[in-house]
Amino acid sequence: MFQSFDNADVQRSTTRPEWMALLARAPQSLLDRALPANSGAAPQWLRKPETGLMMVQGRAGGTGERFNLGEITVTRCALRLAGADAQAPVGVAYVLGRNHRQAQLAAMADALLQDPANLEELEEKLLKPVREHLQQLQTVRHERAQTTKVDFLTVAREAGGGDDEEEEA
Amino acid sequence: MNAPITNAPDLQNIVAGFDHESFGSQAVFRVALNALSHPGRVFDMPLETALPHQGHGAAAALLLGMLDADTTLWLSPALASSDAPAWLRFHTGCQIVTDASVAQFLWVAQGDGMPQLTSLQMGSDAYPDQSATFVLEVDSLHSEAGGWRLQGPGIATERNLHALGLPCDFAAQWANNHASFPRGVDVFLSTATHIAGLPRTTRILIDSES
Repeated sequence: MFQSFDNADVQRSTTRPEWMALLARAPQSLLDRALPANSGAAPQWLRKPETGLMMVQGRAGGTGERFNLGEITVTRCALRLAGADAQAPVGVAYVLGRNHRQAQLAAMADALLQDPANLEELEEKLLKPVREHLQQLQTVRHERAQTTKVDFLTVAREAGGGDDEEEEA
Repeated sequence: MNAPITNAPDLQNIVAGFDHESFGSQAVFRVALNALSHPGRVFDMPLETALPHQGHGAAAALLLGMLDADTTLWLSPALASSDAPAWLRFHTGCQIVTDASVAQFLWVAQGDGMPQLTSLQMGSDAYPDQSATFVLEVDSLHSEAGGWRLQGPGIATERNLHALGLPCDFAAQWANNHASFPRGVDVFLSTATHIAGLPRTTRILIDSES
């Protein structure tokens, strides 16, 4: 959920792959809150939001051969902001699920972030809350997983060890 | 098969596709169907789409409506170096190839030399549908007398077609193409706003010869 590259680096500003990765996981409520001024006007669509399936591949243990894990539902879109000229940056978004509005807002945020003038403001208003949201999600999951942890170091093994010694002797 | 050009499309220069995806491509498909059903008749192409800078609008719209992710496309040099391939790749997902002889669709810009028709995919006797479709830009298309007289399926007696801007040996190449029926390529002639179809079944007669 939360990746190591999601951490804000004070030394440098967020790069496009990093913010696109964040926007792909940003819930619609956070996007709505951060983009109130721009979200009303209809953008110039290059590719309207469309929902499809993508094959996810995995590697057993992270190192094994690739195998097809299964298909996931993905919504994608590409747009230019309303009122932007023909050479304006194109915002692109791929999000999990079927929420067209979420994909549109994520693409609009991507288009805005490509203008360095907006970067600082959106970093504060959008990317920081998204990072915190993901971090929190990660913490909740971690805690939930922790409650199921089983400690296998028990007295039985110590007793077993004693038996071995006896057999050797 | 040649490796496709893996140009990750430069999004900055890409313009939009059909205003309405399904209606736009259906309108184009209907015109393409009509053009091949009535060989040589000049049809007005609906241009309900943003267009790349290079190339004729009617040809671009035709390809935008016909290509999909399973098709391969070859572009003449003027088009290959323009924003047209990125636009088609983005909107249709087609594969751009550098070898004309393996392409299923070809688009030759006005002023660029066209590859020999016999060098293209002609299909086989068992699968004549696996032949190439050739979109060829011309200077102008008229249905007045004085150019070609066309005969064949879809034409009651004869139809006149005057296409300016084709290579002078086109009619000879076409005779070869027609003779290899059921194999052979199908051609769309395109101006900026109009297209005319030349399916492989059509015979071209030139007035001076007849």
